[in-house]
Amino acid sequence: MNKTKLSLKIVIYTSLVLGLLLILFPMYLTIIVAFKTPAESAENFFSFPKQFYLENLKTVVCSDNFIYFLINSIAITVISLIVIIFFVSLCSYAISRNQNSRYFRFLHIYLLAGIFVPFQVIMLPLVKFMSGMNLTNQVGIILLYITLANAQGVFLCVNYLKSIPMEMEEAAHIDGCSVYRTFFSVVFPLMKPILVTLLIMDALWIWNDFQLPLIMLNTSSEQWTLPLFQYNFKGQYSFDYNLAFASFLISMLPIIIVYALLQKHIIGGLTDGAVKS
Amino acid sequence: MRTPKSPNKKMPFYIMSLPSLIMYSFFFGIPVISGIYYSLTDWDGMSKEFNFIGFKNYLHSFQDDRFWNSFLFTFKYTIVLVISVIVISLIIALLLNTNIKGKGFFRSIYFFPAVLSLITVGLIFNQIFYRVVPQLGELLGIESLQSNILGNSELAIWGILITNIWQGVAMPAIIFLAGLQSVPKDLYEAATIDGANMIQKFQYITIPFLIPMLSINLVLVVKSGLTVFDYIVAMTEGGPGRSTESIAYIIYQQGFRQYQFSYGVAQSIILLIVIVMISVIQTKLLSRKEVGQQ
Repeated sequence: MNKTKLSLKIVIYTSLVLGLLLILFPMYLTIIVAFKTPAESAENFFSFPKQFYLENLKTVVCSDNFIYFLINSIAITVISLIVIIFFVSLCSYAISRNQNSRYFRFLHIYLLAGIFVPFQVIMLPLVKFMSGMNLTNQVGIILLYITLANAQGVFLCVNYLKSIPMEMEEAAHIDGCSVYRTFFSVVFPLMKPILVTLLIMDALWIWNDFQLPLIMLNTSSEQWTLPLFQYNFKGQYSFDYNLAFASFLISMLPIIIVYALLQKHIIGGLTDGAVKS
Repeated sequence: MRTPKSPNKKMPFYIMSLPSLIMYSFFFGIPVISGIYYSLTDWDGMSKEFNFIGFKNYLHSFQDDRFWNSFLFTFKYTIVLVISVIVISLIIALLLNTNIKGKGFFRSIYFFPAVLSLITVGLIFNQIFYRVVPQLGELLGIESLQSNILGNSELAIWGILITNIWQGVAMPAIIFLAGLQSVPKDLYEAATIDGANMIQKFQYITIPFLIPMLSINLVLVVKSGLTVFDYIVAMTEGGPGRSTESIAYIIYQQGFRQYQFSYGVAQSIILLIVIVMISVIQTKLLSRKEVGQQ
């Protein structure tokens, strides 16, 4: 019995470590190649750099307005998220507490329909529509992220709100709180777990999104986000792969830092709200 | 007194729902409806005049080799992706749910690919297939690996799939893991006392609890497979030839690069119909098997 348990343990650890190596290998490669000179990596692609050669990274950061792309990405993500959290929680609260109203039942189904509609369906008409209003810019893309986040957000939040007992709201109502006051001081705090889940999902989506920036912002380089920079930088490194890996490293660096600092909260936050609802 | 009855007291709720309703109708409802309209015209996306041509774009699509080609590619891609991602992520979740040391550490590394952008991961693997895999192929003496597999029209799809699986198992694995942790421990204990073996416990306790997670994961992975775009742009741009053109990719190409705007829109609506049909079948199949519902 003990022997089978021990061998089972060995199998578990070996497979976990093998998976770990598979995940880390591309990252290892990215880091070492980014820090080597072309001559050094021609000699041996896999070896650790003898000295940390910083020119590749410098070229990437200086060649384009890298800092602007970083700021664009941060601004678009943060502004969208703040508005998403408010709009989605307000609308979900109104829907979940008015299930006997025909308007709110319709609104619920109308918003959920968006889950099934792939982005490609609205992509082409959307671009014509947005450029007609001079909105193929960062303001326009923020408006679109706010809109597109509604479907999944309302789905998660309405489910979650249905599981929250209404006694607290009723007490607040009897004490004379208005609906708004009840929402902001009672319901909103209760929604924290699901809103954290939503925040993380949407943050990862908006930060890493490529298709929407590609069709909305690609024409002027001042508006690029990090994924768009990464895509357009392709043309500059066709022969210099050290430069290529340096650009991969640099555009991943912000999210790697955030993940290293917050990984427990990110994974916990993602699953807590999702499992409960 | 669940909800205030008089219209006056309901007013705040209407106001609360307005921002979402207005934005959603404006930036989502209008594009969907105008898309349906454009799909019935011959607009190229640029010219000022265009004609109403009925369902010609749809009929033309079904006779178009390029469309069928991308349809078949996308389906093959999605089937392989869904099976591999669900199986691998379930295995990872089961491994991470055992009594091991350093659980938190393993969990954060296994989730890590999910935070990266698809375009960066695609470009990294593009370089790996270009420079690293051929070296491995030579080392191991496997001929088909000795040149870049992304340049081979038979094998390129597998290169993209490997990349997608590498990144795509992270999120489903964490969702499965959360499901496994929600199974009450005393159920397993009771089953052990009743003499159930490991396989029986897995079949009768674990699987029913995992069904909700399975349906979330299926929806996520099926949708990501049917709409695959970023990896294609980063790794093959549809090539070699047209061997790796996905539906999302040809919609983009026709709409923005090849002045076949309304034709691309019609194909996007075909994609929508397919996704809705698959989702309906999926929810019908899975909703029967959930815990507590016979």
